[in-house]
Amino acid sequence: MRTTIEVTVNGSLERLEIDTRQNLVGLLREQLGLTGTHVGCSTGNCGACTVVLDGVTVKSCSVLAADVDGRGVTTIEAMSSGADDLHPIQQAFVANQGLQCGFCTPGMVLSVSTLLEENPDPSADEVRHAIAGNLCRCTGYQLIVKSVLEAARRAREGAPAAA
Amino acid sequence: MISQEFDFHAPTTLSEALELLAANAEDGKALAGGMSLVPAMNLGIARPTAVISLNRLAELDYVREDGDVVRIGAMTRHARIVRDDVVTGTFPLLAQAAAVIGDVQVRNRGTIGGSIAHADPAADYLPVVLALGASFRVVSSSGERTIPARDFFRGVMATALDPGELLVEIELPRPPAGAGTAYLRLARLEGSFPLANAAAVVDGGPATVAVGGTTGAPFVLEIEDPEALDEVERTARDAAADAFPDLAATAEYRRSMAGVYARRAVESALRERKGG
Repeated sequence: MRTTIEVTVNGSLERLEIDTRQNLVGLLREQLGLTGTHVGCSTGNCGACTVVLDGVTVKSCSVLAADVDGRGVTTIEAMSSGADDLHPIQQAFVANQGLQCGFCTPGMVLSVSTLLEENPDPSADEVRHAIAGNLCRCTGYQLIVKSVLEAARRAREGAPAAA
Repeated sequence: MISQEFDFHAPTTLSEALELLAANAEDGKALAGGMSLVPAMNLGIARPTAVISLNRLAELDYVREDGDVVRIGAMTRHARIVRDDVVTGTFPLLAQAAAVIGDVQVRNRGTIGGSIAHADPAADYLPVVLALGASFRVVSSSGERTIPARDFFRGVMATALDPGELLVEIELPRPPAGAGTAYLRLARLEGSFPLANAAAVVDGGPATVAVGGTTGAPFVLEIEDPEALDEVERTARDAAADAFPDLAATAEYRRSMAGVYARRAVESALRERKGG
């Protein structure tokens, strides 16, 4: 079945004809070419497909595209225009080796950005709970937590993270 | 992309949703947060011919005080239940259960009605609503009924809901003033379904303890003397006689943990009651 939806993606209103079998991550990657949102498990476990839907993070493999009609989606592409323009959270991940293969990183960064909006000064424990839904299979959690704490500290101090 | 074709409906009123459910009673499926249904459809395990999304039914997203009860709309998301002042003030164990469901992303999307109607045997809410003596308001295009939680859960993902019926509200009686309550879970990892979970309400007289995660449907027990903790443990272990095994735990381990977690939940509720 096909249907038409209107959805605001990274600030731009899109009117799209979609297959109702499409989930949100497929819509973003296949129809809009926003391939920064990754597909890991398709079962809501790994968090690689994390996006922000109306201000809160969701796993876009587990949301039907037809269900975002009239709503707003933010993806990792909204965080940065390229390697020379990394978001401070991304800079902190680079500076602290908070990633290895990078597959989980877009989802991780979006989870962290919503965490820091709510809680600018999280403890290491709070960081771990906030990213519990984002699996890293390079086992890099120590450095991810370190990256997040540095990003938070620098945001509080108003300084960009060292690249 | 999901491989199976299906019709998608996004009604904006409850009556429209009920008509669609009635028209698709055979193979239609109501979609709440989708945290279990959409993954199952991605995998081809669930193959509904029609999906009726409830995500535009803002009328089912509420927490409302109503005299001696609190009413929670079925489409209220876990993240709201974690923080809602009425829930945290009246049923802290319900907020505690909501706070450990899945992860941040799952709690932002998943709903209390979806979780209860899906009836995964290890869902965090189930022992809590059983111990609190909740009732569920269920409606269809032809009428309405109220089902007590203790008559609702029939087995693994099996409930008393008939085709065409929709769970719309969870009604929770306020616990007596000064009652002690507790919710505990045993899970291998944060975000995993528990291997066993238990909720208890203690109010001077007999206690109520409910245990999930070990048997196809969670069970609830009235405990005459909650101070007799050995007896609590034995009773719960016996009640879990037909505990199921899976890759994570044997049936024997689950039986044993049904007893241990029932005991600890009662112990913790007793402690809370005494202000400890």
